[in-house]
Amino acid sequence: MGREGRAAEGPPAPLAVEASATRRGAAGARRCAKLPHGMDPSAADRSAPLIDIAGLRFRYPGAREDALADFDLQIGEGEFLVVVGANGSGKSTLARLLGGLDKPTSARHALGCGRDLLTDQGRVDVRRDVGVLFQNPDNQLVAQCVEEDIAFGLENLGWSAVDMRRRVDEMLTRFQLEDLRHREPHLLSGGQKQRTALAGVLAVPRRVLVLDEPTAMLDAVGRDDVLAAVSELHAEGLAIVLITQEMDEVVGADRVIALERGTVVFEGTAAELFADIDLVVRLRLGLPAPGALAVALGERGRLLPRLPLTIGELLEELASPP
Amino acid sequence: MSAQGPAPRQGSTTVGASLACRRVSFSYSEGGASVPALRDVSFSVPAGDAMALIGASGSGKSTLLQVIRGLDEPEAGAVVLDGVEPGAAGYAERQREVGLVFQTPEVQLFAATAREDVAFGPRRLGWSEPDVADAVARAFELVGLPQAVYADRHPYSLSGGEARRLALAGALAMRPRLVLLDEPFVSLDPGSRRDLVAILERLRADGITLLLVTHDVDLAWRLCEQRLVLAEGRVAAAGLWDFAGDDARLLAANRLREPFLVELWRRLAYAPGQAPRTLEEAAKALA
Amino acid sequence: MRATIAQYYPGTSPIHRLDPRAKFVAVTAMAVALFLRDSFAGLAVFAAAAALAYGLSRVPIAWFWRAFRPLLWLVGLTFLAQLLFAPGDAFFSLGFLHLSWRGIELAAYLSLRLVVLVLIGSVLTLTTPPMALTDGLVWLGRPLRRLRVPTDELALIVTIALRFIPTLLAEFDTIMRAQRARGVDFHRGGLRQRVRNLQPVLVPLFVVSFRRADDLALAMEARCYRPGIARTRLHPLRAGWADVALLATTTVVIAAGLLL
Repeated sequence: MGREGRAAEGPPAPLAVEASATRRGAAGARRCAKLPHGMDPSAADRSAPLIDIAGLRFRYPGAREDALADFDLQIGEGEFLVVVGANGSGKSTLARLLGGLDKPTSARHALGCGRDLLTDQGRVDVRRDVGVLFQNPDNQLVAQCVEEDIAFGLENLGWSAVDMRRRVDEMLTRFQLEDLRHREPHLLSGGQKQRTALAGVLAVPRRVLVLDEPTAMLDAVGRDDVLAAVSELHAEGLAIVLITQEMDEVVGADRVIALERGTVVFEGTAAELFADIDLVVRLRLGLPAPGALAVALGERGRLLPRLPLTIGELLEELASPP
Repeated sequence: MSAQGPAPRQGSTTVGASLACRRVSFSYSEGGASVPALRDVSFSVPAGDAMALIGASGSGKSTLLQVIRGLDEPEAGAVVLDGVEPGAAGYAERQREVGLVFQTPEVQLFAATAREDVAFGPRRLGWSEPDVADAVARAFELVGLPQAVYADRHPYSLSGGEARRLALAGALAMRPRLVLLDEPFVSLDPGSRRDLVAILERLRADGITLLLVTHDVDLAWRLCEQRLVLAEGRVAAAGLWDFAGDDARLLAANRLREPFLVELWRRLAYAPGQAPRTLEEAAKALA
Repeated sequence: MRATIAQYYPGTSPIHRLDPRAKFVAVTAMAVALFLRDSFAGLAVFAAAAALAYGLSRVPIAWFWRAFRPLLWLVGLTFLAQLLFAPGDAFFSLGFLHLSWRGIELAAYLSLRLVVLVLIGSVLTLTTPPMALTDGLVWLGRPLRRLRVPTDELALIVTIALRFIPTLLAEFDTIMRAQRARGVDFHRGGLRQRVRNLQPVLVPLFVVSFRRADDLALAMEARCYRPGIARTRLHPLRAGWADVALLATTTVVIAAGLLL
């Protein structure tokens, strides 16, 4: 069955654990609490969703089919949304649209942090509020050393040197890059590059962070570092959209949507997603190892009451009487 | 000269080649200084076995693969291929029987058609056209890309998973007896990963020796009976997995977890070293 | 694989701390002045000034040698050419080769001048980070904006190019190794064969670069970049009294070099 990714209970999957913990608490109260770095409280309209898209269509020029069709999405303040789907299902297209980097072909409405994504100016403006981190760490670093790269976005927005210095130092500390501040990008490991890129994206104070398969090209250590950082950001109140194909980044997510050929075919919790085995197979997703083992046991006649997603749940299920 | 084509080698009885590294050391120069990448590395892999190569970034894994293939010469020690020492007769031929698949190998695809790219290696070896065609057909089949569908496709029109399999076909078309793979699963979607695992299992079933650099401990556990842990160019552990002993600690030192099945067996109070390699075997044991 | 294309040697010497614009103007002016007159005395003045500047920069001699070594052939050629072919009263002839005192004098002068030129240039490149130099050049080139030359965009282009040179070199090396593992022998064969051998390396490199350009453009846009916007800098250029002193000193040196 190959690599089904696995969710552990302890630190190795900080993302999953953190996400569950924040969700089970008073989610509403949390949302009104700490705002992301540098955010102006008066600018936040807490009643309106941060992302509000209805009936969106997107087709690449010259393509035979829509990359996204009849697409609806709402994301509120501080939410954590995971997006899954096979290659070609429209995930990367969604990331670019949310970041105001592509123009929707049409939509009933498409608002990002109050900006109209259907207008050119709206898309330019939304890039200040919605940050996007891409898959290839190397292809996001522009400058000749870490601190210059982190400053890139701020330089584009015309920040003063003094303010930039302060903000860059903040980011260097926050992402544990202080010792690397003068390092050239080609001398960094994959994980360090991706953390630098993340620091650069977040140097501009954001309200939403979109991550398009951020750990796909990283090794285990790099992955852990990036996911831990994302988890902390979510705990601080930043809205996150995580697009991923790694199943153990999905476990524990309170809100998952699955895309198939440009439309949303599932919306619910991670547990509900994995319980729908036919969907998992059809979308060529995997199951976290404990779930896959439970399915294999079921095929051998030993049915477990619930589908376990973590090793702890699996052990509980195995211990329970048949 | 391999102009004769991929005929079975005289003197060897196995499909796969054995590998032994004896006190291999290698340094490269960077900015004027000499950086030791491999220090006194010794280990062996019997013919037909598979070994997982594990270590932190910068520990020397990729360098080791390239030294084994012969792209770099060790400054000390020896890489013994199928029992043949460097400098002895037939060593160069043994080197040509080592397939090396780099990280993101699809980057090196360059030909106009998939078939041309796969044929590149065998042609370089000087094989006759019928032998080349045969090797190419076999390689396409091995990686699960039907030749009828894919032969004339442009390499850049393939999806990530397909391109990776095509690059692998290019290496397999040269009929290697030892295949070295550098992080073959990185950047693949779950479906493509499963396909690749199936391909490697097929190679194992055929008897080919494998050396696999990976940070995916579950796949390392599933595919390999041996492991080599490198730290700063030195061998921290070499040989069969040893979860009854120190392996969990060694992995943790590299910020890696134990394989899921090993942890499960441990927590079920079974002997972790006896944990099954695949989910199917585990299901059979627990059902 | 480390590439030292820009050859910047980090440091905090007085020379390092000078404004890149002032350094560039000083170096360019001296380089031009070097060629305005032919006199050993003048050359000695320039040489002394350059050596003094180099000494003040506290950059090890080894680094100058590394910058200079690739040009050794040029200096050698110049020397030999003047030595053997310069017109003048020959005291030794062999066919069309003649050795004369004038030839020796010319050979020495021209070779030394080349060395001094490289020394002056090295003081600039060894003490100025490429980014700062680019910024300085953009500032100096601002009048060109009137002529619709996109100097700011050029600056970004240069910066990004320099940033990716080591990455590209590493990828070139990796792809070459991958093809070697498939049996390509880059050292074998005549010129035609060797050029053909580069195809499996250059094609992938091009493709990687085009994909990278796409990705990078997207990432830059996502960080609010647009061509033509006014960008501020984390390390803005700040000229000070030391730079005025540098320009004044340079003027004196040039005057001395030209008059002596």
